[in-house]
Amino acid sequence: MSQKTVQTDIRRRKAWSGLFANLGLVAYFAFSLLPVLFILALSLKADADQTTTYLWFTPTLSNYETVLGLDDGGGTYIRFFMASLATSVGAVLVSLVIGVPAAYAAARYRFTGSDNLMFTLLSFRFAPELLVIIPLAVLYQQLGLYDTIVGMIWVLQLVTMPLVVWILRSFFQDFPAELEEAALLDGYSRRQAFFSVVLPLVRPGIAAVCLLAFIFAWNNFIFPFTLTSANAQTVTVSSLAWLGGNQVKFNLVAAGAVMAALPPLVLALFIQRYLVRGLSFGAVKG
Amino acid sequence: MALDTAPDNASGNGRAADAPPPLDSVPKVSPGRRKLRPYLLAVPAVVLCVGILYPFFVGVGYTFYNFSAANPDPMWVGFKNFADVVTSAPFWNSVRVTGLFAVVATSVETVLGVGVALLLYRSSLLGKIFERILIVPLMIAPILAAIMWKLLLLPEVGWVRPILGWFGVTGYTGTDSPFWAFFWSVVVDAWIYTPFVAIIALAGLRSLPNSPFEAAAVDGANWWLTFRRLTLPMLWPYLLVAVIFRLMDSLKMFDIIFGLTTGGPGDSTTTLQINAYLEAITYARYSRGITYMVLLWVFVYVVSMFAVKYLRKVQARSAGV
Amino acid sequence: MAGIEVSAITKRFGKTTAVDGASFTVADGEFFCLLGPSGAGKTTTLKTIAGLTEPDSGSIHIDDVDVRDIEPTHRGLAMCFEGYALYPQRDVFNNLVFPLRSPRLKLPEAQARQRVEHIAAMLGIDHLLDRPVTQLSNGQRQRVALGRVLVRPARAYLLDEPLAHLDAKLRTTMRAELKSISHTDKTTSIYVTHDYVEALSLADRIAVIRDGRILQVGTPTELWEKPADAFVAQAFGKPRINLVPGVIDGSEFIGADGAIRTRLPELTESVSEAQLGIRPRDIEIDPTGSAERGDRFRLSGKVYVLEHLGRHTEVTAEIGPDRVSLVAPRHEVADLRIGDNVGLLINPNSVHVFAAGDEGNRIS
Repeated sequence: MSQKTVQTDIRRRKAWSGLFANLGLVAYFAFSLLPVLFILALSLKADADQTTTYLWFTPTLSNYETVLGLDDGGGTYIRFFMASLATSVGAVLVSLVIGVPAAYAAARYRFTGSDNLMFTLLSFRFAPELLVIIPLAVLYQQLGLYDTIVGMIWVLQLVTMPLVVWILRSFFQDFPAELEEAALLDGYSRRQAFFSVVLPLVRPGIAAVCLLAFIFAWNNFIFPFTLTSANAQTVTVSSLAWLGGNQVKFNLVAAGAVMAALPPLVLALFIQRYLVRGLSFGAVKG
Repeated sequence: MALDTAPDNASGNGRAADAPPPLDSVPKVSPGRRKLRPYLLAVPAVVLCVGILYPFFVGVGYTFYNFSAANPDPMWVGFKNFADVVTSAPFWNSVRVTGLFAVVATSVETVLGVGVALLLYRSSLLGKIFERILIVPLMIAPILAAIMWKLLLLPEVGWVRPILGWFGVTGYTGTDSPFWAFFWSVVVDAWIYTPFVAIIALAGLRSLPNSPFEAAAVDGANWWLTFRRLTLPMLWPYLLVAVIFRLMDSLKMFDIIFGLTTGGPGDSTTTLQINAYLEAITYARYSRGITYMVLLWVFVYVVSMFAVKYLRKVQARSAGV
Repeated sequence: MAGIEVSAITKRFGKTTAVDGASFTVADGEFFCLLGPSGAGKTTTLKTIAGLTEPDSGSIHIDDVDVRDIEPTHRGLAMCFEGYALYPQRDVFNNLVFPLRSPRLKLPEAQARQRVEHIAAMLGIDHLLDRPVTQLSNGQRQRVALGRVLVRPARAYLLDEPLAHLDAKLRTTMRAELKSISHTDKTTSIYVTHDYVEALSLADRIAVIRDGRILQVGTPTELWEKPADAFVAQAFGKPRINLVPGVIDGSEFIGADGAIRTRLPELTESVSEAQLGIRPRDIEIDPTGSAERGDRFRLSGKVYVLEHLGRHTEVTAEIGPDRVSLVAPRHEVADLRIGDNVGLLINPNSVHVFAAGDEGNRIS
């Protein structure tokens, strides 16, 4: 076989495989984006267009007006949005305050029970939620935490805490101890060394974890669904409401879904790079 | 530096008064106090654990009573709940559904995720663009994804029927039959979580060393052989983390099925947690519902122990490489 | 300035004992070197002195004060880490000034700046003060690390293999600079290294450490002329000291196969397993081939390898089953070829006798 034919063979093979690869990617991402496109389109359709058109229609914002409560003067969406915001931000903050010291201690010190503590916190991630919800519902009623932001923040720790502690612990473990030692010998206490040397370097990682935890807290359904009703109900749960009733208007449901899914999605697209790094980092370190 | 500045010590300026304080005057920390430090840092986390474990134990306690809306003052029934549940057909149906769902969904996601990762790894221009939007399905709340797909699958409003029609499929019934309800549930789960596997697989692929692959190319190995014998084993430690994650998560599947089919039709998609929800919330048989959950939890715990052990083994093996 | 006393420090990590009953004393103002191969426990010992690691047993006294309960922050020591441990997000100036801004010192800014500029000038990095630390070369980083040590008042300097990651040329230059700095700056220093040349050239006294145990402490001369055991003897000198296994019979050392026989009057008892240590530079080529010249004894061997290294040559000769290396000026061996018979002259006074393995010394 001459040199030239081998080379053209290889090139041709590469071209074909490149084509197949691109086709594969297009196919997958078409699948990936189809529902999103569909929902967006549906949410902009007038009632009559729902069942008759695909992408060729005159868009209308009336569904959004209804969902956002702009046409009947109610501000319920805002209320749900605020509840989601409060519970998600609150949950992440609490996880940080509790989790950062715990993660640091587990990373730097070997103390009895550190592994147990870590494993317990991790196990929260995989525990079936209803196991805790059922007694918690009763408990919350007794404590007056049912349908409160505080109650939600506490329960959402089951979602945010494992993430924060798990990823932060491996961040701290990977952080070169020598830098802290140098700071100690330079005359700083452990606490000061942590804030001057460690924190600035771990900050981007912490930010990524926080954003991820925020998104998961926001997207959580089962806890707010079972433990809230009117006051602390989140946006995610509220979107389900449009499915009820006799005459379900699908375009309203679509608009409701969009408004509920939009905030974390927008956030995610903005900090996508950090999120991916955070996710894969946690996995790579196991 | 000399504390007494010698005349030829040029660096004596501005230093003379700054000798370190004598060691007797320096604060001392007893070893006991030193030992205490990590515990103090961990205290809030321990408090949290206790706070979470308390309802957990209360819940386990419920299983021994017959707590329900019909019995607001429950009586002790010992293991009756467990006996009842374990001998009931709905329970085993849920076990079947849950197990099947977990295995099938995880497998589909893993294979698809690795495939997507391999495609993206070639980093063509298209790949780079798509990588940006890879994460989108993952960031949508599962319940919302379920709603989206629910609408998508409706014969009148959704696009699945017409698209299937292009491919020549007729007789579309949406999620009406048990098989298809299960099928589409798996599809939705895969839709959301394939990016999860893909991201991890991609990170793993990118962190693999080049030299073994270069050696294989020089030795004339074709793509499939390289993949099977080289890529996959090296990727396995990373993949395993993703697989375990998805497996554990899908065992407690709730959101997607609740949004898509609410366990139906009949009980063909009633996973264990859906069943628990029906029992505890819909029928208000709290104790029975919790029994379901305790059983699930025990199972998850046992599986996770094995999984972690296996993971450690795989990680240790790969670390030696 | 401080005298540091290390007493019976032991530190275990799981099953391995990193440091095993190490003891030595560093006098006030002394430049003390801890010499040993990698993994010998040098860094662990240093960290124990600094307070970064807590020993399982033993104690450290600085200025006669037991520092067990004193935090590293307050011990008043400065340490130069092997990996430099520079603060990555800061530039050179901020790295150097960091210790001066500590809550312990709180030097006024103007004074701190003056100090930093002075030290930077002394180390030749004053033009780099604005450079981010991540953009520095290895040699520059090493100077910054050193500067960070010198910039603040300290009882003692702890230097952990500061020259280890520099290339050979840079290492020689920095060694000279270190020597000159230590001349003017009389702070007690403990210098950890695996390079014996650095130890010999910089130290007032050296401690040889192996597998966590201190084998010998002494001045460079003492360690060179009277090594306590075969390991210490091998630690110094390149090419390494020749160690010939054999037996001691009465006052005679008999090498394996009887190829090497020497009478050494200081030997008294018979030992079944011993080694004869001869430094390569203590062996002369005997050009005339005549018999014993005065007090020297003669061995004959066959040239095995000749390595011409500029002005001198390393000759490895086979004497029976043993191989012996020596160093000779080039002109003496100009005519020598591989396979030639050669005579070696050895001065019995410069010979060491050890027990087999790495143990006791006998005579010099």
